[in-house]
Amino acid sequence: MRFFTATVLGLLAPSLAAASSFTAPTQLAVPADFKPPQVFKNVNLVRNTNLEKGYVRETINVVVENVDKQPQSDYYIPFPSDVFGRVGGFEVRDKKATENGRFEVEVTEPVVSTGNQYFVVHLAEPLAPKAQITLGISYSVLSALSPRPATIGQSDKQYLTYSFSAYVPSAYQTVTQKTKLKFPSTDVPDFTETSGLKSGADPERKGATYTYGPYETTQVAPGTEQPITVRYQFTNPVISISLLERDLEVSHWGGNLATEERYWLRNNASQLTNQFSRVEWTFASYQKAPSSAVREIAYPLQPGSVDPYFIDDIGNVSTSRYRPGNGKTAANLELKPRYPIFGGWNYSFKVGWNNDLSGFLRRATGVDSYVLKVPFLQGPKMSEGVQYEHVVLRVVLPEGAHNVRFETVEGANSNGLPGMSQVNASLSTFKTYMDTLGRTTLTLEVDSLTDEARDAQLVVTYDHTFMDAFRKPLTIFGGLLTFFVAIWFLGSIDTSIKKR
Amino acid sequence: MSVFCSPPAFSGLTALAMYLLTCEMSTSPSAGLLAAAFMGITPGYISRSVAGSYDNEAIAIFLLVFTFYLWIKAVKNGSIMWGALTALFYGYMVSAWGGYVFITNLIPLHVFVLICMGRYSSRTYIAYTTWYALGTLGSMQIPFVGFLPIRNSDHMSALGVFGLIQLVAFADFIRGFLPGKQFQKLLTSMILLIVGLGFGGLILLSVSGVIAPWSGRFYSLWDTGYAKIHIPIIASVSEHQPTAWPAFFFDLNFLIWLFPAGVFLCFQKLKDEHVFVIIYAVLSSYFAGVMVRLMLTLTPIVCVAAGLALSGVLDQFLVMSKPTAETKAKANAKDSKAYGKMSSPVVGIYSYFSKAFVSGSMTLYLLMFVAHCTWVTSNAYSSPSVVLASRLPDGSQHIIDDYREAYYWLRQNTPDNAKIMSWWDYGYQIGGMADRPTLVDNNTWNNTHIATVGKAMSSREEVSYPILRQHDVDYVLVVFGGLLGYSGDDLNKFLWMVRIAEGIWPDEIKERDFFTARGEYRVDDEATPTMKNSLMYKMSYYNYQSLFPPGQAVDRVRGTKVPTESPTLDTMEEAFTSENWIIRIFKVKDLDNLGRDHSNAVAFDKGLKRKRAAKRKGPRVLRTE
Repeated sequence: MRFFTATVLGLLAPSLAAASSFTAPTQLAVPADFKPPQVFKNVNLVRNTNLEKGYVRETINVVVENVDKQPQSDYYIPFPSDVFGRVGGFEVRDKKATENGRFEVEVTEPVVSTGNQYFVVHLAEPLAPKAQITLGISYSVLSALSPRPATIGQSDKQYLTYSFSAYVPSAYQTVTQKTKLKFPSTDVPDFTETSGLKSGADPERKGATYTYGPYETTQVAPGTEQPITVRYQFTNPVISISLLERDLEVSHWGGNLATEERYWLRNNASQLTNQFSRVEWTFASYQKAPSSAVREIAYPLQPGSVDPYFIDDIGNVSTSRYRPGNGKTAANLELKPRYPIFGGWNYSFKVGWNNDLSGFLRRATGVDSYVLKVPFLQGPKMSEGVQYEHVVLRVVLPEGAHNVRFETVEGANSNGLPGMSQVNASLSTFKTYMDTLGRTTLTLEVDSLTDEARDAQLVVTYDHTFMDAFRKPLTIFGGLLTFFVAIWFLGSIDTSIKKR
Repeated sequence: MSVFCSPPAFSGLTALAMYLLTCEMSTSPSAGLLAAAFMGITPGYISRSVAGSYDNEAIAIFLLVFTFYLWIKAVKNGSIMWGALTALFYGYMVSAWGGYVFITNLIPLHVFVLICMGRYSSRTYIAYTTWYALGTLGSMQIPFVGFLPIRNSDHMSALGVFGLIQLVAFADFIRGFLPGKQFQKLLTSMILLIVGLGFGGLILLSVSGVIAPWSGRFYSLWDTGYAKIHIPIIASVSEHQPTAWPAFFFDLNFLIWLFPAGVFLCFQKLKDEHVFVIIYAVLSSYFAGVMVRLMLTLTPIVCVAAGLALSGVLDQFLVMSKPTAETKAKANAKDSKAYGKMSSPVVGIYSYFSKAFVSGSMTLYLLMFVAHCTWVTSNAYSSPSVVLASRLPDGSQHIIDDYREAYYWLRQNTPDNAKIMSWWDYGYQIGGMADRPTLVDNNTWNNTHIATVGKAMSSREEVSYPILRQHDVDYVLVVFGGLLGYSGDDLNKFLWMVRIAEGIWPDEIKERDFFTARGEYRVDDEATPTMKNSLMYKMSYYNYQSLFPPGQAVDRVRGTKVPTESPTLDTMEEAFTSENWIIRIFKVKDLDNLGRDHSNAVAFDKGLKRKRAAKRKGPRVLRTE
């Protein structure tokens, strides 16, 4: 059997290697005093910062002009290297033609002299001299919000602070720029007021939207900082998943797609000044007062999801409720953690369910090739947003599946995922009961995601022949046959001493 | 998973062993099958063998039954092999359960009774000496046992019978060589000498302390009041209470009235193995009456006896035989001799009606037994003790999951090495579910340690705090059922904590102080100061009053109103309380940064003036007290 396995794996190996996308993300090597070539100019830059959720979501629309004599195609976007690792779902599109999809993006190593790290955007076509293009850059920054005061009473309001630079960090000279901040409410007790940057009040306040700028920054060197700090009310939990392990297991024989997700959740909200008081919490729940604690986690599932479970290290969590939905509408899993999760508290748990495979798997016409389309991320749907520091997605394909390829579905809008070059993909085998070869497993690892990626779809194609499907039953049949034949043979040996 | 499934697996083995054991007692094959079936479902054993309740007793009962089977085999055959096997399984039993002492005493007793009945034979000698020598050596390999078999009084009977059987064997040997008269003389003088020597030696060794006195659990078997006075920790366990009558019926159902019938059948046959059943039955009936827990050792023999009895009945009544011509002829012949021409009655049960009636009613009893076992198992023994299930008015199930809520909170939100103090009942639960070290747990061998916890719980804060600091306690966990009416809470167990602590520190803790002048155990306004100042009381009712409108706080377990004012805690702060207040966790405060004691620090935080400072400002007064 071992010989057999080895040969089959040997046969499989070339096809695995041939799949182009299985490369670990690499960082472009740059010299220690690297500065991006000054070949572009930002004619007009508008940054929208959305603070309505537990993470920062920014979209920058910038009109870029080529000031060089040669056509240029590499646009650099800097981030301080400590922030860089927390930037998630980075995506750049041509604002005029969003349906063309995202530009290819690479990352550089940290540059020692400036402390910056760059995203390098490769424009689809080099930009001719004097020509302009409007880039739509979107990303989210995780763990950028810090609660002030850091500790609060159990029923107090919570305030978060966010610090940024009024001048948008850019590698290039910027002519005009402004920043729009969107707060969750009008309760913004503290914010920096600038003086001398522009005429009139800065920021301009309109409801929950504050606008810094527009500034004329032709004379300002790129990379100049103008620190701004805002502090605003956010009496909601700041849900952060330090690790999500998501397993999707495809079973051709069972016609089943089993999903299991393991969460390591932490609430990054203000911690409690005193200890937890049950009395206060009982009264607060009774009045349905807003709180910085996670009370309940709403978890929409696709229609037709069955057998959901919600367990943690010590068994079934009895405080959950499953609403299956009526066929078409989404099912809803309402999870109530064992205890309210206050700031600084942890909770790890596991949810899982089954789906009918036919809704996800399609057989390519003619050949033994299958196309699997599954959600990349499902996760809770919370109004205050969820951030994922590290996501490990495993797609366990049937035994013997080979020639595995994958891609994500790109639409006209951002799907919340970073470019595929930032995803660490690998193939391995996973053995469970009665497996001979082990099941082919596609593992995708992504850092810094947010629940924006909830709608992202992953498409996996693989080949699975008739022989692959019948390997297990045939192996078991062969094994049992051998056993019975051996028994029959042993039983038919006459060991008696007496003479015949 | 393996831990989860092992009790049912051993339960299956127990049924097999039970079949083998019962088959040794009866020639009827149905007896063994019936006994095995009874063993499989009787609640008395199911209580220890449901999946998920990992308990060494599930294994122990299998070993008990199987060891007895091997012993019977050994006695019947007089075989060294069977004796050695008995010793092997006896050794396993010693490693599995402290109740091995039961075997250690029952087998010698069996042999002793056989000798007294004049049934000494070389078979008995071979079986017993083999078992004793090998079994004792085997048991001494267990570190917990060590040299107990030769030093502890619990094991003395086995040693004594071992000596006795040597003498008997010797006497038996001598008898072949000496004439009757001389033999009588020799025997009498030898018996007198040996008994005198042995008794004197025993007293000497006991007094000099070489032989340890009987263990406490053993005393409490003979004197049911003993434990309550001398070793409260044993009496505090509900399983060590005397059994109530309904419990026998609850755990054994109709087996309990088949049991005497089976024992009676054993008296009728009275071979060596039947003597064993009778001794076992008598002893374990007594023990089961003394301690609820020992119902477990009664169950196997009840199954054996009931199997014997029922198979006797069924063998008689399920056979559709007509009187054969031979018996008829015999009866006729007898009749004709005695009474001449009168019609002849044939002795035996041949009427279809009575056969159908008896076997029908037996079937009915069996069916009811199955129904009863299923009901008891699903209602009493299958629900995990940490999850309380109840029904809402609309019939839907409501689960009260406070234990796991609090344990998971501990697991997730306290430092890995945080030490938890709680009453020992929750030790294993905290160790398993909260994954935190505890001060004491369900392994109760260290009585002093448990008494320390009892002392900390029942003393004033000023006394408790140094104890908590000395033991590096970070959190204290108490169970409080007052809100929900959950009666198994710590305040109801509190008197045991007091008693156990009193056993070690009789000067500092006094049970009397926790009762009012009229001898009542109260928690309301009338509670004694000692009670109100005890840590347990304070933790249980801390902040409980604020859940109710002023003056209306009610304790639903003890059915009383609770004092209007919440107790104050200076050295601890409430860290977590579960949804229904069943579990309350308190964090032990660190030493004050400014070196004040905690009551002063708390008073300062509240803005109260220091008492001494106030005194200094006022006019000087003479001390009046």
